[in-house]
Amino acid sequence: MKTFTKLLIATTAIFATVTHAADLVSRWDFGTEEIARLTPHGGVHRDVPGPRAPEFLDFDAENTAVKFDGSGAHFVFSETAANGPYSFKNGDSITLEAWVDITESKDGENVYVIGKGRTGDPAFAKDNQNWALRLRKLDGLEHVSFLFATPRKDQAKGKDSHFHRWTSKAGFTPGSGWHRVAISYTYGEPDSIRGWLDADPADGTWDMGGETRDAPVVDDDAIWIASSMGGSASTSFRGSIDAISIYRGLVPDDVMRGRCRKATPTAVKAPAKVATVETAPFATILPPGKVVVTLSDGLKAHDAFPARDDEPKALMRWETDQLLVPRMPMKYDDWGIRQSWSGPALLRAEAEISLPPGKHRLLFRAREMGRLWVNGKVIARTKTHSGSADGYQPVPAVSEPPAPGVHPADYGDKEAFGDAEIGPDGRCHVVLEAILGAKKFRAETGELCVMVQTSDGKSYALVEGKFDESKRMNEDNWKAAASRAEKALSDLDDANRYAASSTQNAFWDKRHIAGRQWTEKHPAAVAPKLDGVAHPIDSFINARIQTAVAASAASNAEEAKHFYEKVLPILSENCFRCHGDKEKGGLRLNSRESALKSGASGKAAVVPGHPEKSDMLERITSKDEDERMPPTGERIKPEHVAILNAWIKAGASWPALRVTPEEVAQPRVVDDPAFVRRAYLDAIGVPPTEAEARAFSADTSADKRVKLIDRLLADVRYPDAWMGYWQDVLAENPNILKPSLNNSGPFRWFLYESMRDNKAFDRMVTELLMLRGSATEGGSAGFGMAADNDSPFAAKGQIVGSAFLGIELQCARCHDSPYHTTKQRDLYSIAAMFARKPLTVPKTSTVPAAFFEKKARESLIKVTLKHGEELKPEWPFAKTCGVAEGADISALMQKPDDSRERLAALITAPQNQRFASVIVNRAWKRLIGAGIVEPAYDWEGHAPSHPELLAWLAQEFVAHDYDFKHLVRTIMTSQMYQREATGRNLKLAPERRFFVAPERRRLNAEQIVDSLFAASGKTINVEELTFDPDTRSSATTLTSLGVPRRAWQFASLSNERDRPSLSLPRAQAVIDVLEAFGWFGSRQSPHTDRETDPNVLQPGVLENSTMSTWITRVSERSELAELAIKAESPEALVDSIFMRFLSRPPAKADRERFVQALALGFSNRIIPADQIKEPYVPVRLPKITWSTHLMAEATTVKLEMERRARLGDPADPRLNPAWRDVYEDVIWSVINSPEFVWMP
Amino acid sequence: MNNEFLSRRQFIAGTAAAMAASRLRADEPAKIIKGKAEHCIFIWLGGGMSHIDTFDPKRRGDPAKKLAGSYYDSIDTAVKGVKVCEHLKGIAPLMDRITAVRTIHHDVIDEHAAAVNRMHTGRVVSGTVIYPSVGSIIAHERGAAADGAPPYVLIGYPNVTRGPGFLGSRDGYLYLTDTSQGPAGLSRAPDVSNERQLRREAFLTQTRESAQARLGDDSRVRDYAAAIEQSLKLSGPEFTRVFKLDEEKADLRKEYGGEFGQRCLLARRLIERGVRFIEVSHNLNFLNGTGWDAHNTGIKKQHELIIELDIAMAALIRDLEARKMLDKTLIVVATEFGRPPEFDSGGGRGHHGQAFSGVLAGGGLKHTGAHGVTDDLARKVVSDSCSVPDFFATIHAAMGIDYSKSLYDGDRPVPITDRGMPIAKLFG
Repeated sequence: MKTFTKLLIATTAIFATVTHAADLVSRWDFGTEEIARLTPHGGVHRDVPGPRAPEFLDFDAENTAVKFDGSGAHFVFSETAANGPYSFKNGDSITLEAWVDITESKDGENVYVIGKGRTGDPAFAKDNQNWALRLRKLDGLEHVSFLFATPRKDQAKGKDSHFHRWTSKAGFTPGSGWHRVAISYTYGEPDSIRGWLDADPADGTWDMGGETRDAPVVDDDAIWIASSMGGSASTSFRGSIDAISIYRGLVPDDVMRGRCRKATPTAVKAPAKVATVETAPFATILPPGKVVVTLSDGLKAHDAFPARDDEPKALMRWETDQLLVPRMPMKYDDWGIRQSWSGPALLRAEAEISLPPGKHRLLFRAREMGRLWVNGKVIARTKTHSGSADGYQPVPAVSEPPAPGVHPADYGDKEAFGDAEIGPDGRCHVVLEAILGAKKFRAETGELCVMVQTSDGKSYALVEGKFDESKRMNEDNWKAAASRAEKALSDLDDANRYAASSTQNAFWDKRHIAGRQWTEKHPAAVAPKLDGVAHPIDSFINARIQTAVAASAASNAEEAKHFYEKVLPILSENCFRCHGDKEKGGLRLNSRESALKSGASGKAAVVPGHPEKSDMLERITSKDEDERMPPTGERIKPEHVAILNAWIKAGASWPALRVTPEEVAQPRVVDDPAFVRRAYLDAIGVPPTEAEARAFSADTSADKRVKLIDRLLADVRYPDAWMGYWQDVLAENPNILKPSLNNSGPFRWFLYESMRDNKAFDRMVTELLMLRGSATEGGSAGFGMAADNDSPFAAKGQIVGSAFLGIELQCARCHDSPYHTTKQRDLYSIAAMFARKPLTVPKTSTVPAAFFEKKARESLIKVTLKHGEELKPEWPFAKTCGVAEGADISALMQKPDDSRERLAALITAPQNQRFASVIVNRAWKRLIGAGIVEPAYDWEGHAPSHPELLAWLAQEFVAHDYDFKHLVRTIMTSQMYQREATGRNLKLAPERRFFVAPERRRLNAEQIVDSLFAASGKTINVEELTFDPDTRSSATTLTSLGVPRRAWQFASLSNERDRPSLSLPRAQAVIDVLEAFGWFGSRQSPHTDRETDPNVLQPGVLENSTMSTWITRVSERSELAELAIKAESPEALVDSIFMRFLSRPPAKADRERFVQALALGFSNRIIPADQIKEPYVPVRLPKITWSTHLMAEATTVKLEMERRARLGDPADPRLNPAWRDVYEDVIWSVINSPEFVWMP
Repeated sequence: MNNEFLSRRQFIAGTAAAMAASRLRADEPAKIIKGKAEHCIFIWLGGGMSHIDTFDPKRRGDPAKKLAGSYYDSIDTAVKGVKVCEHLKGIAPLMDRITAVRTIHHDVIDEHAAAVNRMHTGRVVSGTVIYPSVGSIIAHERGAAADGAPPYVLIGYPNVTRGPGFLGSRDGYLYLTDTSQGPAGLSRAPDVSNERQLRREAFLTQTRESAQARLGDDSRVRDYAAAIEQSLKLSGPEFTRVFKLDEEKADLRKEYGGEFGQRCLLARRLIERGVRFIEVSHNLNFLNGTGWDAHNTGIKKQHELIIELDIAMAALIRDLEARKMLDKTLIVVATEFGRPPEFDSGGGRGHHGQAFSGVLAGGGLKHTGAHGVTDDLARKVVSDSCSVPDFFATIHAAMGIDYSKSLYDGDRPVPITDRGMPIAKLFG
């Protein structure tokens, strides 16, 4: 089909929480583009006509299929790991469905539509049929047939007894066009077999091998389409196939019937005008001045309104004050996690207004099918989508407004008009009904609304609870109405989500009581009491400094300096990866005592005074590849070898670290302007407004910093500040096009709403790992998806390990880690817990024997898992995390037999101090610039610089119910956080990392972009992040990430196709800035630390990019224009610019320079009203969508959009251009000051 | 399936027997072929160039009669026995400076993004490594050819498969989407005159001094300040001159043809300025909507794309030759996959990966007009198969890069190509 349906790459485990009877595992539609990796063999021809409209109602008029020549022509699909979604064991149910147009086959032949196993691959038994849907020809008719094998027991039982075949009684004639064939079956339950031929169920018999309750063969052999047994001619399909679906579960009859809808022959010729019997909806009792909206889902059809008694029960009802629904509300599951709508939804909005008696014209807009009732009569209708979404649709003309100046219908929305006769009572009862979404397209409302023509006939006014026809729907009024409607929906979402998630509160209250009890029983270190130090963080830090200073008094300054600056760096750079805090080959080199010991070689690494006897020197200079150290990479430089040689010769002394009080003197706490800017950026991701910054400076209360921190942490923008960080750490990688390249679902919405609700961190992690809600539309289930990945749960195991436990498992995917103790077994064991079933290492994730043969020396990597070895769900990190499986963990669970929940519980249990420590260290690092443990994602062999502080923070975190905000508050209120950023902690070894001061941090990409928009008073005005703004596709194919409001909401624009018609030029302009500063559009793997090294593009994009043009342009009606117009003096204007962009007043020199520049022409800066030339308004352009993007016009339109984006918005016409240029240049120089991108 | 185009991980998962027959060649002496090219212009035909309608012509077909075959007639070239499509008139007499590698093949034909990734990274994605593009690898290995020039410039849309992968942003590209402007971030906004820029920079001196006072002495802040200097220089007149195509003679600009030709001309100017690798995208989809992805009626104007390619590429080869730069500039024409000889229901063509063409020109190679033979309808490889890794190894070898070495993703060694071997015939 031309509408692209994709293979769900994630394994079925994702679906375990979905309540459908059957879940789609794969569907192949054989359009021009497909995601599934089908490899063609032999005569396979794509793009032949498939079942098509108008005869087949569920297909496009240009639907394509694939044709097979027979004689072994087939497709292979090999991503079929055992235990994957294609494996069905006893008790599992399968449904197979396909459309076939078979040319011919011989009587008695069984030709394959699709089958797993029996491919002829010598790695498997010949008769390993896991399952197959076939056509069996008998007496001239093609019958639907199902075949599977059970493992062969012994030869004595007779030939073929292990094959089990079911065949339908009914059949069809080959060459008679398209037919739908399907079967469903639950293994182990022979009576469960069900077949379908076209729309009807088909009876049949087990005609070979008989019924069986035995388990079927399950292995990881490939799936073949259209042939079998190595391509034997007699099993090969000749003809066309389309729309093959594989489900887990049994698809019920009514659903099956609904998937095979055929127009009757007469209807094909002349679409009959069937008079529908319509009954008006029951009138609701409307609260005065209100509009009532109800919504239900699960309609049987998207192109017909159901009879009243067949309407699904309303899922939600809300009151609002205008008949405008700009988007769907969110649907939440019973934990408050986003879910997809199931089937088409029905929305009804109802209002009652008063109009003068007589005839009135109304209009309504809807995305798909809709009807408008006035006083019980339908007066206007819209239809559902028609035509194909294949890219070749003509670009529709731009809609005309219904009257001059009225906001026109949005692209993709349908508009209908109708007249209503209003009686003498003036009553006008309006009901709008709309069907939203369908099997093949996302449910969206478009700009669903109803308007009434104004009495002068010249405009339209929105139907509102308090109807006021003078509120004409010009763009300004429309914007105001739409933003009110959005606010109402956002409140509704919050309320629905709180209500749903509160069902889990009791459980979490219990968990948190257990957490508090645990901390009481296992108290951590108490903060040392120091004079004049109030905050525990400062106590720990100052105490450690004091101790170190005292200890170093005994050390020889000269010797210590040489050792720590010259000798130790050579050892740490070259040796410590294996011989530091870790022990490889029995050797550690992190202390003199260890270095003097003999390792596995039997020789001491260091013999003081005798370099020639020291094994270390021998190894680092050895010419023998098998002996030399370090084993890979560059050799140690000769001058460094010389330093080590001299050090050993001189006795290999290892002096105590020399710390002078001057070195560890703490800088002062920053001034108010720096603090307020730092606090705002860290807590909500944008700087303070001018007024906020001034108010803070003016505040004289002693506790104003703490109060500010509390206020900011309660701000609704708090989650925005943390989103990008967790997206990176958790590799959130959604695609607006079909998933590929390790794409996940957009679980950003799960994270965002969790933080918006300030969910406890243990709860957020648990709910993330439980993979709930919609995989494609914002549930935590999206985290479980990993497209183009042969072992999605292993990929997720790696993320979970580094994100929450500081355990690096990247190498363990294919072999044991060379520089870590982690084993392949560890990764696949947690992956199995996550997957809720045993896992094997996929064929593609291992290292072959030949790799080791080629190696000259013993390899650093080891493969310890045998091919095909099954790993059971098991917790491998008891030692590392200090928490083992057991009854105390079960007590923290809702379903103790669920291995996925067990994994979540083991990670988030209070006993798991590693988890709490890793999270507090992450927060610390983000706010201070260096971790107490570095790197934050990989703790093995990396000691904390302040173990007691870390333990205390972790304990605080657990004792405060894993409240992340409390943690952030604890850090931000310390003196440490508030000191001048002169720290050099990041690059230092733990023993030298004193946290005298925080690091100088560069703002991250999101902070820079958000700050630019916030400070200039502009909104991020870019396209909706989608190729499907008119909702012609399903969310699994083309989805929408919405219109970004903040920088974290962007994603890769996925124009791998390099088509100008698919570019989103305004979004790209913002992404150019984000990417220059290290943001990832595509997060194929997790990242804790972004690249922060300066590069030429960073200042470049601030100086020259399209976005920089938008920011610095004093555009029409912008805040910057108003600021200039209202400014009392050049001085005041310069002050405002500095306060806005840098949160501080200008320094003396700044003020002098810029006041001088802006004073010139200041008094004449405003153009007299009668001389203002309104800027040219370019014509509206159509939106280009996936449906139209392959037409030549689509490219032309997009190129014009790019041109306009680059040009930016027109300048404010009220300002004198010459003066305005200078004003813009001042702003430019402020945003390009390094001060703008560095945290104060 | 042929072992040649399995990914490393699929490869290493193969059976011992397959291993023995594979191209591991552990016991062969490591004799590395090295060419002398200094620059690479990588012309990208997104959507999938129909090899049977361009560089691997066969008998004429007829979409109306559903007769498989070429859409156009073929013509003789400078190399005896090597024919190309009739719309490659300009290139035909130059085929002795060109080799059409006709036997490239892979198995990703269903999904454009995956095919683009395959033909930019030269390998199968695995889920654990983010592979760098060929441009980034060459930028990484050879850096820019002159001080103050970026190593890698892209004329086309930015996307992740063209990026540096695990190598990091240092080896990424600067990009521009058309020749009317310089690269994003380094070309000044249209409303900023030189005079304004001078004023801006004067103002900036003040804010920078002021920042210095607030931020104090920090090495990272100092490095950022150095980046500011560098960006001002790169967006300044000296470097941006390279984008001023109107400095070229009108006749030459005309010879290069339309927007695509101008991109090729810009590529030549960038090379002269010291850019190492330039990807030039032929995504002028306004010609037929679908670009090279000529399904259905998209094929009707396919010849316009072919002619535009022909004009530009011929001009580029002649121009480079006249400037004695052809031998040190490797031109590569690469695409996602080919197209089958059969016609689809709309008269166009679907996707075909079992055999398709990539083109190499210049770069000091010993060109043979064509390499490898496909069957009578260009469906399958008959001889001299060239896997995607082989094609990439050939590019690296031509650029003097050791195609057998490994790059490092952290600690993990990643072979620079998926064990590809260069087409030896083209060297020495």
